[in-house]
Amino acid sequence: MTGPTDAAASLPAARSPTALALRRGLHHGGFLIGAGILGIILLCALAAPLIAPHDPYAQDVSRRLIPPIWQQKGTWEHVLGTDKLGRDYLSRLIYGSQISLLIGIAAAAISGVIGTTLGICAGYFGGRVDAVVSYVVTTRLAMPVVLVALAMASLVGGSLKVVVLVLGFLLWDRFAVVTRAATRQIRDQDFIAAARATGFSLVRILFQEVLPNILNALIVVATLEMAHAILLEAALSFLGLGVQPPLPSWGLMIAEGKPYMFFQPWVITIPGVALLVLVLAINLLGDGIRDVTAPEGRR
Amino acid sequence: MANGTRARHGSALRAALTLLMLAPSAPAFAGKANDTLVYASDTEPENVSPYHNSAREGVILARNVWDTLIYRDPKTGTYQPMLATAWTWIDPVTLELTLREGVTFHNGDAFGPEDVAFTFNYVLTPDARTVTKQNVDWMKSTEVVDAHTVRIHLKTAFPAALEYLAGPTPIFPAAYFKKVGLDGFAKAPVGTGPYRVTAVENGRGVKMERFAKYWPGSPIGSAKIGKLEFRVIPDADSRMAELVTGGIDWIWRVPSDQADQLKAAPNVTVLSAETMRVGFLQFDTLGRAAANSPLKDARVRQAISYAIDRKAMVDNLVRGGSRVMNAACFIDQFGCTDEGVPRYAYDPAKAKALLKEAGYPDGFEIDLGAYRERDYAEAVIGYLRAVGIKARLNYLRYAALRDLIRGGKVSIAFQTWGSFSVLDVSAFTGVYFRGGDEDLTKDPETIAALQAGDGATDPAVRKVKYAEALTRIAGQAYALPLFSYSTNYAFTSDLTFTAQPDELPRFYAAQWK
Amino acid sequence: MLRFMIQRSLVALAVAVTVSVASFLLLHLSGDLATAIAGPEATSVQVEAIRVQYGLNQPLLAQFVAWAGRAIQLDFGNSFYFRERVIDLLAARLPITLFLGVVALAVALFVAIPLGVLAAVKRDTWIDRAALSVSVLGQAMPSFWFGLTLIMIFSVNLRWLPVSGNTTWKHYVLPAVALGYYAMPAVMRLTRNGMLEVLASDYVRTARAKGLPPRKILIRHALRNAVIPVIALAAVQFGFMLGGSIVIEAVFSLQGLGQLAWESIARNDFPVVQAIVLVLAMIYIALTLAADLLNAALDPRLRQ
Repeated sequence: MTGPTDAAASLPAARSPTALALRRGLHHGGFLIGAGILGIILLCALAAPLIAPHDPYAQDVSRRLIPPIWQQKGTWEHVLGTDKLGRDYLSRLIYGSQISLLIGIAAAAISGVIGTTLGICAGYFGGRVDAVVSYVVTTRLAMPVVLVALAMASLVGGSLKVVVLVLGFLLWDRFAVVTRAATRQIRDQDFIAAARATGFSLVRILFQEVLPNILNALIVVATLEMAHAILLEAALSFLGLGVQPPLPSWGLMIAEGKPYMFFQPWVITIPGVALLVLVLAINLLGDGIRDVTAPEGRR
Repeated sequence: MANGTRARHGSALRAALTLLMLAPSAPAFAGKANDTLVYASDTEPENVSPYHNSAREGVILARNVWDTLIYRDPKTGTYQPMLATAWTWIDPVTLELTLREGVTFHNGDAFGPEDVAFTFNYVLTPDARTVTKQNVDWMKSTEVVDAHTVRIHLKTAFPAALEYLAGPTPIFPAAYFKKVGLDGFAKAPVGTGPYRVTAVENGRGVKMERFAKYWPGSPIGSAKIGKLEFRVIPDADSRMAELVTGGIDWIWRVPSDQADQLKAAPNVTVLSAETMRVGFLQFDTLGRAAANSPLKDARVRQAISYAIDRKAMVDNLVRGGSRVMNAACFIDQFGCTDEGVPRYAYDPAKAKALLKEAGYPDGFEIDLGAYRERDYAEAVIGYLRAVGIKARLNYLRYAALRDLIRGGKVSIAFQTWGSFSVLDVSAFTGVYFRGGDEDLTKDPETIAALQAGDGATDPAVRKVKYAEALTRIAGQAYALPLFSYSTNYAFTSDLTFTAQPDELPRFYAAQWK
Repeated sequence: MLRFMIQRSLVALAVAVTVSVASFLLLHLSGDLATAIAGPEATSVQVEAIRVQYGLNQPLLAQFVAWAGRAIQLDFGNSFYFRERVIDLLAARLPITLFLGVVALAVALFVAIPLGVLAAVKRDTWIDRAALSVSVLGQAMPSFWFGLTLIMIFSVNLRWLPVSGNTTWKHYVLPAVALGYYAMPAVMRLTRNGMLEVLASDYVRTARAKGLPPRKILIRHALRNAVIPVIALAAVQFGFMLGGSIVIEAVFSLQGLGQLAWESIARNDFPVVQAIVLVLAMIYIALTLAADLLNAALDPRLRQ
């Protein structure tokens, strides 16, 4: 005969939501692929000095535009060929991952802090604060991002730092919107009321009660905005107002390869595919995280 | 690589290009069928008036739409009558010219001495805001003597005056200009040249057609092609693609890599020629652009000079007949010499040693401004990086860069100068080292030597003085001359076109085959 | 509903004012305007004269009011580079960008909506997954690289379409695809979700029970209801496209507003940049207001 205690004993041990999510993740194709590819790229970026065959800045104008190994004039010394100044393309590709990841993470972090702060405040306090934040978000959305980023970069001069800051200060809108919605959802729940009743300070409530519960949504948005920042940096560098040469930004490499694209298309195809793969991986990871942490919202 | 494989690669390319050509092309508004020669370039002159822009594209328009008083024959180098039929030096500062009769402007006005006097006096006034001051400020004033004669009064003796009167000094119609003003003139310019402007479209280009009443007996002859159109296409690849697909007929400044590819195209002719344009690095010697600028130290400037492999750049990047330059001028200009001028061979070790001596063992960061041939600037940056100097590229449009340089805000400027096609060293070295707006050094010794050279009437004295100035410039490394530019022209095979080293396409001389 | 309309319109107005202020500041932050207008050849006397003539020695607030007054009349002053009225430059280029945006949106809708419907109808089959994959892939591509690749394939190799310029309708095909594909995933998902919702609704179930042919149900009833929020989304996407057209116009040399903006930025021609930012922002504000009102009219829940 089973009693309450026996029933309790036969329940599986309680697992944290994170563990559950991870378990689900291991069965989710997109999540695995995304995480895997991102992991590889991250590894490349971190181990760049070890795995890059050449110095990405070492130029040799007598060895320009050597094609990759799969074409007739290719050589194993430069597996992916050389660019217009004789620099090894594979090395530039590997070091370029550092720049893309750095910008993606930094810009997402900055915009995440800004947007989350605004969103939580708007969602938690509601009323006037909410109206003000909505107005700020709408204003930001009204300004075309690329144009404003270009204008700001041209005022100050393009560089890695400027790109990170400009993007960080422009891409916070989705953070704000999503965290606002998520905060509103949990604002009226019991545990928040309980925390208030216990006399927890506002800051403590926001940080310890609200934030952890909207973290899932936050992470998903962070991955999306990271991808967004990477693509925007590529566009800015392509237009000449992003990262400056000789830094091996993938977007800049495409810009530099453009004059050769008719007859040596690999010069723009290789960095383009790299961007595609990185952004795809991030998007898949983001979608996967969203699917495994909130399966009800799935499909 | 075996010959066989190279041939396969080449013929695959050729096959691809042939396929490109055989497919039906876009409706051609250009070309022989329409008797319209469409030429494209990347820069739109900010103002069509030749005195109000310093873009090469503006000089080209000037030569086709306006005449000058004197004509220099590009083959013999002698001066021929053009709008002026005769001239004499009354004294070293007064030049009297007899003007041609029977010349009409495009709008029907008759050409006369008032037009010469008005043009030259107007461009000297501050209100005119002339951009190309160095081309005219050797003149003091111009007066009408009688119905066929004018006198130009110079500020000081300047034997190169004839060269300037044969080049960047077109004549405007006085009555028309006074009526419409500069802004009106810029929208509807009028001259006496073989082509007359029919439309100025901002952002698009300029349309011209042959001037039927061009005066007979002109040394350049009447235009042979009925319509001429200048189209602004800022993107080099677009220009190339448009040429290959028949949308335009003529492009230039094709990078050597693409020129090689275009040679394989069946309907395109490629012409390579050296030009008078010289690329050089101009240094902020006075140190205005940065606090404690390293460039104030001659050793740093010399280090930079040793760090760059100019020969490798010429052989691999520029190609097409370009040459390394060692003196701050174009070697074929009168007065230009590199004998006895200090040379800087490619020696990165010496560069690093000099930097260490000057107190920069780990190099330093600096800015480098450029406005064209980004590849060359990036190659220079690569060489600098190899000796520890991290240069940040500031790539701008010419006008913007020029303003920054004049304002003392650029440390290293990758400059190029075509001397307005004037074959006299005063048109190059004088511009950058004689104390004018473009001079970033303002060295009294150099200025004195150049002034002496400009003013002397004895050519031997001029040469000695200029050699002095050039030696000092090189010794102190105020600037690093890099190389002469070669340029590649590519145009439809229907066209007969010849190029001169002065980078001035003479479309009035071109004709269909 | 009326209250909602007024409230939203007020917000839109406030946003418009803020954007104008930001736009105004953009111009004045760019450096000494008097020097920029006078040009590099001017003497300090001439610069001072210009300063007085343009009212640049007035306090900033007074300048803003004057500027705003002129801006409402579409007088944005003269371009530093072209010495023409900014409004003339804009008027010449805006139609190109608008046309590009419209075509790009049309391309996006004509591909994404049917795909979304298909994905919803064949839910969880390989078609569904394929459609989703294509859209996910599309969103990962940098638009300028996509544009260049399109040029390589369709202009150079296949010779079907021209490389650059804007004279014929053919010149807009590739740019429209390169600009529009980015909006496809969002539209497709919205359509799909909307369709799924409607298809599961009582209304449709009744129609099916009544024996109406499935295609009729699909098109007449389901699609019509699912598409309406998509239209609102499309309005917003159109606004994004106008802003994002810079890169595409640069790649294809379309000489539209975006390219003018980029070239003006490169030339420090700030009156033009400022005017473009303002115009694009106003269009976007108007579009989102319209989208909000449309959505609210159809779904009372959104009126709060």
